[in-house]
Amino acid sequence: MTRPNPLILVIDDDADIRRSLSRELALAGYDTLAAADGVEGRELFEHHRPDLVVTDIAMPRADGLAVISAVRRTDRTPILVLSVRGEEADKVRALDLGADDYVTKPVYLRELLARVRTQLRRTGSGGMAVPEILRFPDLVIDRGRRTVVQGEREVRLTPTELAILELLASHAGRPVTLRQIIATVWTGAPATTVDTVRVHVGSLRRKLEPDPANPRYIGTEPWVGYRFLVEPSESG
Amino acid sequence: MVMDRHPAHWVRLLAKWAAVPLALGGVILVSRAAGANEITAGLLLLVAVLGLAAWGGWTVGAVASVAATLCLNFFFFHPTGTFAIEDSSNWVALGCFLAASTLVSRLVARGRQEAAEALARQRELEVLYDLSFDLFTSPLGKAAARTLRALGSNSGALVLSGSEPAIVVGEPEVDGTFIEAARKGSAILEDGGTSYIPLQIGGQAGGVLLAWEPTAPPAVLEPAVRLLALAVERERLLREAAHLEAVRQSDALKTALLRAVSHDLRTPLTSMRLEIESLERRLAGRPEELASLHSLSRQQERLTRRIDNLLALARLEAGVARPHPEPTPAGSLFRAARESLALILEGRAVEVRIQPGCPDLWADPSVSLEVLVNLLENAARAAPPEQPLELAAESMDGHVRIEVRDRGPGLPAGGEGLSEGLGLRIARSLAEADGGSIELLDRPGGGTIARLDLPAAPELEEILAG
Repeated sequence: MTRPNPLILVIDDDADIRRSLSRELALAGYDTLAAADGVEGRELFEHHRPDLVVTDIAMPRADGLAVISAVRRTDRTPILVLSVRGEEADKVRALDLGADDYVTKPVYLRELLARVRTQLRRTGSGGMAVPEILRFPDLVIDRGRRTVVQGEREVRLTPTELAILELLASHAGRPVTLRQIIATVWTGAPATTVDTVRVHVGSLRRKLEPDPANPRYIGTEPWVGYRFLVEPSESG
Repeated sequence: MVMDRHPAHWVRLLAKWAAVPLALGGVILVSRAAGANEITAGLLLLVAVLGLAAWGGWTVGAVASVAATLCLNFFFFHPTGTFAIEDSSNWVALGCFLAASTLVSRLVARGRQEAAEALARQRELEVLYDLSFDLFTSPLGKAAARTLRALGSNSGALVLSGSEPAIVVGEPEVDGTFIEAARKGSAILEDGGTSYIPLQIGGQAGGVLLAWEPTAPPAVLEPAVRLLALAVERERLLREAAHLEAVRQSDALKTALLRAVSHDLRTPLTSMRLEIESLERRLAGRPEELASLHSLSRQQERLTRRIDNLLALARLEAGVARPHPEPTPAGSLFRAARESLALILEGRAVEVRIQPGCPDLWADPSVSLEVLVNLLENAARAAPPEQPLELAAESMDGHVRIEVRDRGPGLPAGGEGLSEGLGLRIARSLAEADGGSIELLDRPGGGTIARLDLPAAPELEEILAG
């Protein structure tokens, strides 16, 4: 579907938030649709097939988790969750159900718009295909040759650390849950615990971050997992 | 000991032995009257011996065999009326009679004894079966009384450990020292008619059953006591399950309540935040209005943080959330804290010093971030804007010491704690929930050091080794 502007569906049960979000997204150059609950949200989604969904979690009739499940049954459309602090379990559930990212309420527009751009760029640039060489400012990950070069020096990583780095870097700007890491990196291995993941990430951080006082690459998402903080370089 | 037996016992014993002469005499009289020959008489006597053995047991049968042999000789073998034997073949006949009657009475007596034993076992099993059924369908008080009845005792008590009250049935005589002794051992103790039977509950010494003169054999007593121990264990598990269910329901209620409060407080804050940012854009180029709006924006942030703090504290204190410690690098904590306070720290220098090789923190990143943000916010508000703030982390025997240093007015005279703001008080509670502590110190050269000590993360090998 080709549209002049990306279409964003906003689902929130609070009328003021709905109106403000729609207005700000429109000013940022997006077309918007708004729904007051999950049921209306699903109807609008079916009818208009938006390019991105921004949804609250706690709503009457059908909540945000129901919206995510319904959308994921048919589409890969990016979904951004508006979550509330203290409901970390819901956040993790939303991500595991297939949501792509979350923004914590009260929402900062700058942050929200950045997340929206990240999601739309991913779908715009061909979606899931991960390039052979991942390039970031000062960091090049060559997936084929299994090398990581940070600035001028080559960083020696264990196979597990490399697999975690590849997963995080190929999801740059987006959260990756501990469950996703275990499912991807420890495929078929018996019962890996989240502590094991954290240990490997800890050691990866020590090798990767040139300045511990100013970490650049791997951010912690409390209760959720990790987020690769830098955006890919525009050209190879 | 023997004299203590019940009179009925002696009557039974007397009847058993009196039956021997009566039965044999009767057979002899009938045989003589009927003119029976020695063969018929021998067969009749054999039948009588069998009957006696079946009724009176092996000893009665053996005595009756010998007596019947002598009677056969005396009354029926020629010459009758004496014990003399003329025909030597009669020796053989008498020998055969004695052997046959003895052997058969032995077999009959054994069969009878085995039947009696089987019956007794069946009764024991019935008693235990009924008992097990009753024990697991009745409350403990009834179960204890039922067990005592199965043991053939009409009074006693079930004494459990600790806070559980003893269950008393009838009016037992109780000696506390015996209870304690039985509780510690595994053997049954007896004292003046009362048996003190230890109970193994859940695999360990747990209680004592007192029984007044129990008559049940060990085959009943031991399993009955084990069943009672199981009933006690079941009762405890049921109580525990009910308690856990109550706790779970109260947790679910607290969670739902906190969720509703959290939602209702944050929805207006979200709306305010969006409108503030929208206004900021629309008021571009109007510095006076923008200055007012910035101040509104900062206060809105502060309110948001305080509400976050209070809700986090409420969740921790209500027990519906527990800190999830994980290895957290001080550097990423510092970075996240500065991002959270972007508005307040705008245009302000923050120097970060992390000791080389400083271990990661072992803390819940969201809780420790909240603590650090509060400390940093306090420092930013205390110190003049042109003075840089300092964030430092270093290793300090087994934990990581984080310091937020400012060049503000320092601690008020009279030490810390007097004029602590809400933010610091909450930070202190959160830090403690996260396994750490906060201390405020005067900074040499002026200002304050807010010191946060948190546990250091274990080394890679330690975690992997579990």
